[in-house]
Amino acid sequence: MSTVAEKLRQLRRDAGLDGVNNSPGVDGPAAKAPPSSPLFAPSMGLTLRAGLRRSCPLPSGTVGTFSRQREKEHRLHALRRLIRAREQTPLQSRRILPPPAGEEIAPGLHYVEAQFAYAASATLDVPAIDEAPIERNRLLCFDTETTGLAGGVGTRAFMIGVAAWADDVLTVRQLYLTTIAGERAMLETFANWLRPETILVSYNGKSYDAPLLKGRLRLNHVAHRLAELPHIDWLHPTRRVYKGHLPNCKLATIEREVLRIVREDDLPGSEAPAAWLAFLRGQSSTNLGRVLEHNRQDVITLMRLGDHFTQL
Amino acid sequence: MTIANEPALLESAPRSIERLVERWARKYGDRITGYFRRPAQPARFAEFPPGLSADLREALERRGISELYSHQREAWDHVQRGEHVVVVTPTASGKTLCYNLPVIEAVREAKAKALYLFPTKALAQDQVAELLELNSAGTLGLRAFTFDGDTPNDARQAIRIKGDIVVSNPDMLHQAILPHHTKWAQFFESLRYVVIDEVHTYRGVFGSHVANVIRRLRRVCAFYGVSPIFILCSATIGNPKEHAEALLGEAVHAITQSGAPCGERHVLLWNPPVINPDLGIRASARSQSMRLARHAIRAKMKTIVFAQSRLMVEILTKYLKDVFDHDPRKPARIRAYRGGYLPTERRETERALRGGHIDGVVSTSALELGVDIGALDVAILNGFPGSIAATWQRLGRAGRRQKPSLGVMVASSQALDQYVVRHPEFFDSAPPEQARIAPDQMLILLDHIRCAAFELPFTSGDAFGESRVDDYLEVLAESGVLHHEGERWDWIADSYPAGAVSLRSVADGNFVVVDRSDGRQTIIAEVDYSSAALTLYEGAIYMVQSSPYQVERLDWEGRKAFVTRTHADYYTDAIDYTKLKVLERFDGANAGRGTCHHGEVHVVRHVSGYKKIRFYSHENIGYGPVTLPDQELHTSALWWQLTQGTLESAFASRQEALDGFLGAAYALHTVASVRAMADGRDLQKAVGSGDAAWFATRDGNGRGQWRDAGGQPTDPEQADAFLPTLYLYDNFPGGMGLSEPLFRDAALLVREAMALVEGCDCTGGCPACIGPVSEADEISGATQRECAAAVLALLDA
Repeated sequence: MSTVAEKLRQLRRDAGLDGVNNSPGVDGPAAKAPPSSPLFAPSMGLTLRAGLRRSCPLPSGTVGTFSRQREKEHRLHALRRLIRAREQTPLQSRRILPPPAGEEIAPGLHYVEAQFAYAASATLDVPAIDEAPIERNRLLCFDTETTGLAGGVGTRAFMIGVAAWADDVLTVRQLYLTTIAGERAMLETFANWLRPETILVSYNGKSYDAPLLKGRLRLNHVAHRLAELPHIDWLHPTRRVYKGHLPNCKLATIEREVLRIVREDDLPGSEAPAAWLAFLRGQSSTNLGRVLEHNRQDVITLMRLGDHFTQL
Repeated sequence: MTIANEPALLESAPRSIERLVERWARKYGDRITGYFRRPAQPARFAEFPPGLSADLREALERRGISELYSHQREAWDHVQRGEHVVVVTPTASGKTLCYNLPVIEAVREAKAKALYLFPTKALAQDQVAELLELNSAGTLGLRAFTFDGDTPNDARQAIRIKGDIVVSNPDMLHQAILPHHTKWAQFFESLRYVVIDEVHTYRGVFGSHVANVIRRLRRVCAFYGVSPIFILCSATIGNPKEHAEALLGEAVHAITQSGAPCGERHVLLWNPPVINPDLGIRASARSQSMRLARHAIRAKMKTIVFAQSRLMVEILTKYLKDVFDHDPRKPARIRAYRGGYLPTERRETERALRGGHIDGVVSTSALELGVDIGALDVAILNGFPGSIAATWQRLGRAGRRQKPSLGVMVASSQALDQYVVRHPEFFDSAPPEQARIAPDQMLILLDHIRCAAFELPFTSGDAFGESRVDDYLEVLAESGVLHHEGERWDWIADSYPAGAVSLRSVADGNFVVVDRSDGRQTIIAEVDYSSAALTLYEGAIYMVQSSPYQVERLDWEGRKAFVTRTHADYYTDAIDYTKLKVLERFDGANAGRGTCHHGEVHVVRHVSGYKKIRFYSHENIGYGPVTLPDQELHTSALWWQLTQGTLESAFASRQEALDGFLGAAYALHTVASVRAMADGRDLQKAVGSGDAAWFATRDGNGRGQWRDAGGQPTDPEQADAFLPTLYLYDNFPGGMGLSEPLFRDAALLVREAMALVEGCDCTGGCPACIGPVSEADEISGATQRECAAAVLALLDA
């Protein structure tokens, strides 16, 4: 009975019944047993490893900086071990590289502009839009380069390129981030380019670029009219016309096979995230320059596609 | 709640419950170790609050509700004061109105939004059905939607914008809502209430994850300038207020007095009779549960039987169907219900239960939660569910409102069951266990700081829950997923961190079970990754609604098992074993003449084959081989060792030392599980060497068997080195913090295990102390119980 009583005491203590004695069948002293420290304190102060106590604040003055530093080192060491299984540690460099092109128009934001002769009719008959024909100078072809395809609010655009036509000249304007802090200025600048009469033009922008930008605009508290503007997405007519005739409906494919545009030394879009990260981490700016070229060609192609589909 | 809707009470019901209890007491009095009667509780009412709008009042009155229960009014009053509340009242006490009233009022008056979280999709669907019913009783114009993995993509946009009440689960919040919060901007900007039901299920690892999801939710809410009020509900647990506050990280008002009426409740504790006094072997819990269920159903009682495993659900269902459903022309009276059945089948069973078309249902814990299944009369628990709280929760499924009910807890032969069934006072007077969470467990915290950084950038010095995040951010930046710039830490990687973090387990994709009988290709069930290796090996008999299917092919990579209907008269049970390897030792101490350590281990679980067991006779009629990839786990553990020299001087043979270690492991695991209380299955035991060179299991007779790394039985006397090690480990990747506090109390554990072994009534060892042993052992010198006691004595300081 004594072992049973002891077990009962333990069970009752663990169940938080200390000091309550109203259970028939349990001998009296059971409830009067000295309280033991519960195995799991209310905030089970869990640590994965011994030697790695939870970061309890140390009273200032009683402990020197040296041991506090050591404690921090211990914690960091344990965290590094935890994380090693999950991530590849990239090479770090604290160099700050000169941006590949353009001028700084806000802290962390660079701007590049280029103009190309583009003789074309002032109106376009686009089957995708009801109110045809439309004035070409309302079109704003846009394309973003992003940190990846994972989706969700953690994916951001680091570059936005637009192409607009006026008087036989195509003007390409590009924004890109040289620090993350420049994001808000980039989004504000882009939002200002959207006029009430603007018609957006993109390739897969309806389901990719526009929602992504909307999320980032919302996150940065930037007001915009992105949702209200008409939006022509060439992906859909491309699919209708070329599905089955071309190996796939990627922009690069239709550009090569249909528009017969040949790019030289083009950086594939999938390598854009790494190129920007390499720049941000001070490793290299070469490929970021190639991303600018790639993005510029993309928005020009968007305008060409308009003429292509009109002529079909 | 809707008293007017309650079917007229059968006058005979109270008497028939009593008659059944009397009959059992007369016939099987020696099997009943405890009997309680909880008197009926009359209703306590309160008036509608003055702030309640006329429309809502009218909608309630149309549903026959003309006043509130006292706890519903208490919830209203506190919520109106802006306090978070947790409502802890029994099943069917009208908990839903506690949150629906303030929510509906705020939706209508202030165009506010509310988020409801339920642990399962089934509960969420129930809830929306109930809201829509209330909605249609008046003209409240509520728009309530479920948002879960089954919600089609084209509906999601509309729900985000139009939903007044979005009913979802923590997993969806974690993986789909928070990482896309800008799409939900309108919803968050108006979010006034967050309702979290069944919070007692959010404990242990799962609860620790959920607490962090709530931290992330509150962080996102703060970004949108709102600070919603949380209304939580829980089944009875020992520390509802503390648990709610641990989940929320803020003060919570607890409402614990129910004003709802409830009928008289009879509870029996049932210990199967001893059939072999020498070995302490008792009749199986299954045979007893079957008998009780048969009697109850014959006495026209609607009966639910809870089983501990999916396999046991199928076996009990088959046996009950053999009794009650032998005429195929009549509708089935017995149904099974468990996870793994397709949602449509489960909904259908729920409907049939509510409609009173089923006389008996056999379920796993899947029906323990508040799924509405109508009124049942008798609940039979086949085995102790592991905690007092879960026992009450399951017993509570019988008996609603004024009807009397009966609950029986049938103990299995396992040590924990035997321990509690002999101590009725646990059930009668002790409060149920406390729910505990460890949201700051390093691995869990790291996972959620990653997810949180993805959702919104961190600033140096920010807090996340109780922790400052700087160290975590620094390490995440080193690994390249965050970018540090000035005071900011921004997510920079091309990945979706919530996708890699599962709240419930190491989910690695569910397996589907495909029926190929007669050229069909029908999916008949889903099995989660962790149990696939134990249930879907080729040759396994997999049962659905007690119909046997044989697994013909298992496509492990494709996560598919192909089965055909069969008429086997047996079922299969996997044989598995566990190997451990110490990776790093964090801490060590002397333990008597041996040592005790705490550290990180690598666990490999291997399924080597399966047994065929004949229905009814339960004789073993054959074996089959299994070839499947091993299941691996890195976790934390504590372990005890005795040196070869010590063992050689204390034991006549290595075999006896091995038997001693296995028995000691069994006893230590029991006392450690009791100390760790809730969810003792999170803790596992093993005996082996420290380097995975060999390990020990019990053979069919309960004797220790030494196996080499390949799993082949060998003779321990032939081995060069003999350093048996006894492990208790956390059954969770990275550990969940069970083993470290156990290590600190290791000396106490050894003494408790000694007391358990020495104080048992058996002779040579039994399932209540050192585990099942067979008669054959009696011949050899020392009994296994003596061997176990000797090992423990050597480890006692």
